[in-house]
Amino acid sequence: MRAFLLRRLVHAVFVVWGVVTVVFFLVRLTGDPAALLVDATATREEVARTRQMLGLDRPLYVQYVDFLTSAPLGDFGVSIRERRPAMRMVLEHFWPATAQLALAALVLAVVLPIPLGVIAATHRNGLVDHLSRLGSLFLQSMPSFWLGLMLILLFAVALGGLLPAFGWGTLRHLILPAVTLAAAPLAQNVRLIRSGMLEVLQHDYVRTARAKGLAERGVIYRHAFRNAAGPFLTVSGLSLGFMLSGTIVIETVFSWPGMGRLIVQAVPGRDFPVIQAAVFLFAMLFVAVNLVVDVLQGLLDPRARVFEDAG
Amino acid sequence: MTPLRRAILWVALALLATLPSGPGSAAPPTSVEGVPIDPDAELIVALTDDTTNMDPRLGMGSIRSNYIRQVFESLVDVDRQGKPVPGLALSWKPVNDLTWEFALRRGVTFHDGEPFNADTVLFNLDRMFRKNLDRWGIKDVAAGTAFDKVYPFVTRWEKVDDFTVRVHTSEPSASLWDILGREPLVPRAWTIKNGVEALNDKPVGTGPWKLVAWRRKDHMAFERNDAYWGAPPLTKRLRLQVIPEAAARIAALRAGQVHLVEAVPPLDAEVLGRNPAVKVVTSVQKLACRLYLNGRTKDTYDSGGKDGAFIDPRVRLALNLAVNREAIIAKIFYGLAVTNASPVATVAYGYAPQPPYPYDPARARALLAEAGSTAARPLTMQLLLPAKHYGQAFDETVGAVVEMLKAVGVQVTVQTLDFGTLLQTLTKGTLPANGAFAACRTSNNLDADDFVRDWASTTLVNWTPYPPELLTLYQSTRRQVDVKKRQASLAELQQKIREWAPVVSLYQEKKAYAHATRVLQFVPTQELNMDFRGVALKR
Repeated sequence: MRAFLLRRLVHAVFVVWGVVTVVFFLVRLTGDPAALLVDATATREEVARTRQMLGLDRPLYVQYVDFLTSAPLGDFGVSIRERRPAMRMVLEHFWPATAQLALAALVLAVVLPIPLGVIAATHRNGLVDHLSRLGSLFLQSMPSFWLGLMLILLFAVALGGLLPAFGWGTLRHLILPAVTLAAAPLAQNVRLIRSGMLEVLQHDYVRTARAKGLAERGVIYRHAFRNAAGPFLTVSGLSLGFMLSGTIVIETVFSWPGMGRLIVQAVPGRDFPVIQAAVFLFAMLFVAVNLVVDVLQGLLDPRARVFEDAG
Repeated sequence: MTPLRRAILWVALALLATLPSGPGSAAPPTSVEGVPIDPDAELIVALTDDTTNMDPRLGMGSIRSNYIRQVFESLVDVDRQGKPVPGLALSWKPVNDLTWEFALRRGVTFHDGEPFNADTVLFNLDRMFRKNLDRWGIKDVAAGTAFDKVYPFVTRWEKVDDFTVRVHTSEPSASLWDILGREPLVPRAWTIKNGVEALNDKPVGTGPWKLVAWRRKDHMAFERNDAYWGAPPLTKRLRLQVIPEAAARIAALRAGQVHLVEAVPPLDAEVLGRNPAVKVVTSVQKLACRLYLNGRTKDTYDSGGKDGAFIDPRVRLALNLAVNREAIIAKIFYGLAVTNASPVATVAYGYAPQPPYPYDPARARALLAEAGSTAARPLTMQLLLPAKHYGQAFDETVGAVVEMLKAVGVQVTVQTLDFGTLLQTLTKGTLPANGAFAACRTSNNLDADDFVRDWASTTLVNWTPYPPELLTLYQSTRRQVDVKKRQASLAELQQKIREWAPVVSLYQEKKAYAHATRVLQFVPTQELNMDFRGVALKR
């Protein structure tokens, strides 16, 4: 397992380097931020002066080498818009605001579907199953932007301020954004678990377990679900990416001061250092979570023990 | 003393007599107009966005201004009708054709106790014009307005005494009071000690509100400056809460979580106006939205070796006549916009009303034909549209205008792009010969000069440079210090610009705000910022 982890860490370094390198060049293809920092009545000389002050007049390879030597030390430069260290800004917005929201939504999207999907599968074509499928379809087909606004109107306005319309800091503030963010992946996971369970429940070993007189709960959760959980785990790992990108919309609707809104403004504002720092952090998180998923899958299903195969 | 100077002095003295005698001269009242108010309350205002920086030198756009002007003040203040009034300067006057003098307010201190005086003003002028930065040991910043480039005729500034500053110019400058007077002033000793970066953290100013907490992208919290030289604010605290989404802002207002929201979309303003618990107020802004046309000749600036397709004033006039502005304002803005055929905003100092361009498609077609456009070789336009930058109503307006132009025979193709890409195109000068772009411009200044200078030098928005006679007239308005003569010149210039039609004028924005009926005395300004000094909350 140690060798597997080492190999994955080396892979991770290359993946993160690849991602930030691609982003480094791509964002520069989108244009020059200097003109965005001056008045519309500025002359070309003023724009050129601003570009020089930002160090953007240097050759691209010089900027890249500078970036490559500084980034591993956590120095992504200074934000073009806010004139503050880019990584510090990203971390300020990531922790705790975005982390709190993404984790709460991830928990909702990963934990709730297990009983819901299992119940739907074990009560196939029953009322619970129909409701579960209808609910899943509803949540998946609803744009999160619209769902968020509807929840605000319901809980903050119609129900007399039962939950706040905006802001963060308490559990009450977290409920509506987390539910909105979790809605689509939750529905997807319910359907995934339901279909996985339906397939597994027909296998001989499940029948055998029942014939041996095991309690139904044990049959379902220890034998059937464990085998049905593989695709669900993989998708849950990928869900983190969805959660992080989903926060961009949710944070705007709920005025959540997280990383999503920071990126939304950094991209059109050509704030290269902030974009690079944010992408770096996202890439690191994504790689780490998928590594954890691989390990968990191996623990749940011996057939998927990639780390043992790897020697 | 000339009549002009006598008049300026008389106005300054009259204003002086109306001002409070000293800092923190009165405790906040407990009622306004007989209605009991809560002086210890917190006024919560929902804004569309957070400021990216609190240093005024980095730019004073509409978002930044709302934050910066609560903390920092400028020499020239603005009253609720948009008129210039004494701020940190009690008066300003030209002492000769090449010198302006500012008499400063006494007894003003920054929030940390640093006194405001002539040294403060000199330090700020040094920052604005990038002089003596090494001497002060402070960094230069990527400024929004490069004063040294835009106003090169400002040559030096000097301290006459602790409360008098003189600014010298190489040519007469009628609007120098506005050019320099509207820039917010930062403390000298504090900035030198803490560095310009500290202005972006928890800066101190002389304003009515002290910044006490700033959670970025979330809110900025202020407390009343009890030592304020003017009437102290009527609530103890102020919170500027960021709620980017318009529907969420309105929901927060209806839920009672905020007291006042800005930038209410036109359709929502109409609906909210029927709610008895909410009051909708509007004010005309300086934001003017237009189609800018490539009217550069191949020998001016760089236009790819070709004349712009819109050099002929008849063509530009025809495009103006093809647009049905009344319909746009009624159907898209629900009345929350105005037409303005002058290049100067209706609320700017020196504005002279101009007859609107009539909606006359037949004459537009005739003018286009006269200028050489035929069915076989129609006028083409490649229109760059920075979608989602100025809001939905702007995007819808441009769509409607495109159809109106097509209706008079112009072949328009729209290229949607992001705002940064548009600016890059304009900076490089690579707008196609038949290119045009849709954009809005506003001003942080009070004087008409900030609008009419658009076509005088190679700026990003100048694609139809003044012909020599208009350039001469413009320069005379800039140098004419006699108020009456200057007003007349400005009126003549505006009339000629209207006829010369450098842009297709679309609309001037009217901004809508909604507030709970508990909010008293909120009057939206015509400036880029909101002013909460007289705003109270009913007990």
